[in-house]
Amino acid sequence: MKLSLNWIKDYVKLPEDMDLNQLAFDLTMSTVEVEGVHDLGKQFDNIIVGVIKEVLPHPNADKLRVCKVDVGTEDIKDIVCGGSNLEAGMKVVVAAPGAMVRWHGEGEPVEIKNAKLRGVASFGMICASVEVGLADLFPANEEHEIMDVSYLDVAAGTPLAKALDLDDMILEIDNKSMTNRPDLWGHYGIAREIAALYDLPLVEFEKYTADTKEEYDVRILDEERCPRYIGAKIEGLGVKPSPFEMQSRIWRVGMRPINALVDVTNYVMLALGQPTHVFDSNHIIDHIEVRRAKDGEKLQLLNDKALELTSDDLVIADKEGAVALAGVMGGAKDSVLPETDSVILEVANFDSKGVRRTALRYDNRTEASSRYEKAIDPERCDLALSLCMQLFAELYPEMKVTAFKDLYPTKLVKKEIDVDFDWLDRRLGKRIPQEIVARKLGTMGYEVTFTEKGMHIVVPTWRSTGDVSIKADIMEEVARMYGYENFEPTPITTSFDSAINQLDMDLVRRIKEYLAFRCNMQEIFTYPWMTDTFVNAILPNTDGVLALSTPPSPSEKYVRSTLLPNICKAIVKNEHSFDEFAIFEEAQIFADKEYTSDYDEKEKLPYQRKHLGCAFVGRPDTVQDLFRRAKGVIGMMSRYTHMEALTFKREEKPYWADETVWLNIYLGEKKIGDMALLSRKAAIACGIKVLSAVLVELDMDELVPLKSRTNRYAPIPEFPTNSYDLSFLVDSMVKWEDIYNAVAGKKTENLQDVLFIDEYKGKQVPEGKKSITIRLIIGSNEKTLTGADIEAVANSAVKKLTKQLGVDIRMA
Amino acid sequence: MKERLDALLRDGAKRINEAKSEIELQEVKGALLGKQGAITELLKEIPKLDVALRPEMGKAVNQVKNLLTEHIEGKREELKLKASEIPADFDYTLPGKELALGGLHPITQMCYDLNDAFRSMGFEIFHGPEITSEYFAFDNLNFPPNHPARESMDTYWLEGHDSGEANEKLCLRPHLTGGSVRYMQKHKPPYRFVYPGRVYRNETTDARHERAFFQYEALIVDKDLTFTSGKVMIKSILSKVFGQDVPVRMRAGFFPFVEPGFEIDMGCLVCGGKGCSVCKHVGWIEIMPGGTPHPNVLKAAGVDPDEYTGFYVNIGLDRLVMMRYGVDDVRLFHGTDLRFLNQFR
Repeated sequence: MKLSLNWIKDYVKLPEDMDLNQLAFDLTMSTVEVEGVHDLGKQFDNIIVGVIKEVLPHPNADKLRVCKVDVGTEDIKDIVCGGSNLEAGMKVVVAAPGAMVRWHGEGEPVEIKNAKLRGVASFGMICASVEVGLADLFPANEEHEIMDVSYLDVAAGTPLAKALDLDDMILEIDNKSMTNRPDLWGHYGIAREIAALYDLPLVEFEKYTADTKEEYDVRILDEERCPRYIGAKIEGLGVKPSPFEMQSRIWRVGMRPINALVDVTNYVMLALGQPTHVFDSNHIIDHIEVRRAKDGEKLQLLNDKALELTSDDLVIADKEGAVALAGVMGGAKDSVLPETDSVILEVANFDSKGVRRTALRYDNRTEASSRYEKAIDPERCDLALSLCMQLFAELYPEMKVTAFKDLYPTKLVKKEIDVDFDWLDRRLGKRIPQEIVARKLGTMGYEVTFTEKGMHIVVPTWRSTGDVSIKADIMEEVARMYGYENFEPTPITTSFDSAINQLDMDLVRRIKEYLAFRCNMQEIFTYPWMTDTFVNAILPNTDGVLALSTPPSPSEKYVRSTLLPNICKAIVKNEHSFDEFAIFEEAQIFADKEYTSDYDEKEKLPYQRKHLGCAFVGRPDTVQDLFRRAKGVIGMMSRYTHMEALTFKREEKPYWADETVWLNIYLGEKKIGDMALLSRKAAIACGIKVLSAVLVELDMDELVPLKSRTNRYAPIPEFPTNSYDLSFLVDSMVKWEDIYNAVAGKKTENLQDVLFIDEYKGKQVPEGKKSITIRLIIGSNEKTLTGADIEAVANSAVKKLTKQLGVDIRMA
Repeated sequence: MKERLDALLRDGAKRINEAKSEIELQEVKGALLGKQGAITELLKEIPKLDVALRPEMGKAVNQVKNLLTEHIEGKREELKLKASEIPADFDYTLPGKELALGGLHPITQMCYDLNDAFRSMGFEIFHGPEITSEYFAFDNLNFPPNHPARESMDTYWLEGHDSGEANEKLCLRPHLTGGSVRYMQKHKPPYRFVYPGRVYRNETTDARHERAFFQYEALIVDKDLTFTSGKVMIKSILSKVFGQDVPVRMRAGFFPFVEPGFEIDMGCLVCGGKGCSVCKHVGWIEIMPGGTPHPNVLKAAGVDPDEYTGFYVNIGLDRLVMMRYGVDDVRLFHGTDLRFLNQFR
């Protein structure tokens, strides 16, 4: 919203030496965010009124003229101009060198310089209204018409801003910062805040009393949606332009002047925040009624939109049908027309939610509807009526109110609040003198009565529509007017009874740091909705998967029941930049089952769990490595993150997994996740072109953090241990687990461990076989072993391998 | 001859000492002790000497020979220990072997920085459900029944759960504040906790707007706390996270769940408050709403608003990270592009 400082000064007298930046700062700190202060006069710097003395032809161009212009200097200037209405004696707008103008009203403003036009030197230019941004106030009748200001009684050389009284400051307010303040949507409301800020008096409006006994026939058929309706028939009017100052003010704050009748209604709204409307009274048949529309009832709006209404819409109607969409916009048929000479003035109050619904329904938000939406109080109609009548009387001295009706069935109840001083002092952290509290609240319209221990406060009507209702609101009023910057920071005191101990939170963080910094994986974030392509690739069906009513796009309807579809999408995204990478995501997953809530028995929330998803991605010939890496990351996790250990079993192949390369992840006897190579079929369905991916997903809510570290000290062995490597050929279907069990399954004296070292298939190894190297860790707690002792262990291992697995020992 | 022998010893010792490598030393050895070496030459001269002098000189020459040999061996040993086993063409300018890149998401990093700061001030960390009922998303928070935020244009409602009573309507959480009420219902005041999490808004995306973004809520509830303590809290946290003193200001703002409400600005760290393009030339950057929890919110949480009050802030993590690193498109955070994510250490 734009505000004119000159306009504000109508309602509150500001000191001459007021620092505007300070005013903007104070308003921002206490009331609304001032986004900018714009010096309107400045845009007319070096733009002056000139008087054309003579119009001569241009020697080199038919369409141009050379004007001899008095610009208030000693000499007469030559200005080249192509205007169609140039005449000697005319007062024109001259953009002297240094002025900023928009050529033909288009593009960014450019600076005028002394220049030659077709060989003739020109002192700046003579402007069309559009070139100095005044087209709304001085509409041109045709394209080449320059702006004629001959009617102005000013000397040549007078700055245009002064001649047109355009020296003003425009405050730009962020609308979002005052959605809760219906009282601020006009100059008067902001003036009231300024008055309270600086302890200045605020101008009051006199209440209007109709001097006619004639009642206008107004009927409110839905009092809830229309708490108040004032209808006044005014005769002796006519359509003409409004006075320049009114036009100018309306234009300064961003609206367009139209004609005197419409301008008055807009002026009143901009002044007070109360929309009003005028109907051509000759077109209103019989009476005015405020009622719900009939389903399917038709109405054509002022902007020519043809609506088919619903019974939730409130309309203003006459005997024959709807004439306006209440609080939103007038109808085309019955509003001000060129021949209008008498009107029905509407000053009314409509329910905020209804207006909002209707405006949204027809995508037709207006200056009026956006104000009604904020919940204006019905008593503001009095101010608006008063100002309307005052302006009509000024503009049309012969005007007469011939019928009048004010329907206000249920008066708005002012909120009353008791505030205890002790409470106020504690919450503010300091005592603010009572006279300051009383003065600030008083200027803002609160009626304050001091009681023994505090104050009884009656809230003004314009703050009683939901904005102010409890004592915390009063505290805010006092604090912001006293100035938030005037409160000293207060240290926070604390009491201590135990240390913060959040094992589950800490575990999640340790796991993420482990994956990122020890396993060199990159954390990613994805959306909670999944793309259909990936859903179809990963899930057998969408049973039990939740969906959004209004998804981001039609193919992103499903809410994730697993992290893997989005992880696959991330693989596709990165496949063209990297041929090897590892990523992980920790996020919540959901399912349409087990509705319950830990918080409120009435609440039924679906199944939600925290999951971890990982992908180890690389070239297809590295699948063995990718799988072992993934297994290592999961297997080692408990060591680095202080949680109960995870194990692997092979019980249930995940739907999306390769037939061979998969495992299930277990915590004790419970399956909590899967680890597998993404099947070729699923990878193709995802659009993964080249790379292979080993995916892991597990339920983090199942993980059990240890309460403390579980390290145990074991004495360092006194006698040396020996490594003894064995390599052998074995059937390629034999698993490491079989080899390990064969060698270490039964306790062998002095055999401490058996390690996997290497596996080799290929040249030199017969088809159907593989070469395996294992390492025996041999040692004793009692003595240093002799060569014979070590050989004995090795021989025993060889014997077991040969007997149980039929291996072919290559070397020892 | 005696003098020549003395000079040979002096000169030989010097040359041995100056040898810089075993090869050089070998050359010196050749020159001194080789077949045409200086010593050999001297020995050759002995038979030409007077017979009486021969034994003495022979002894003297051999003595020098032994001394030089000893010297050479000593030097050889010294050079051997000094020498590298690696050929001299070893290229020490080759780049270091990089570890595979891994890291936390920049928003997680900021979240953990904040967690550490708040933990140091005795705050707990809370996580709540991402799918919530309308009851906790709006009703508990003093949102009027027809507040625009409740409409589907702003909130992601779930199919089949988008109508009915407030406890039956389900949505992806539009903000975290409802979750704070969950924490308060489960615990007894006073409270100090933070609640980081992702929230969802149904809106059109562009470089400044996202459908999923991160909030970081901090709430302190105690007896007789004033909003001026809130300022102390924010200033302490931001100064710790950014590693420098951060100016903070609080100005009037409105949010349904606080009373009074504030817009909280931090001094622009890019220009030091002088005004630059990052802060739109005002020297301040709006980073979070905050305020005293509305009495209705405290009541919903089962806390007596006459006895307790508090301070609440809701930090937009995406925005804070964008400002901190100069990220110009919020959509990068959920874009999963490793070329972006790899940049954050």
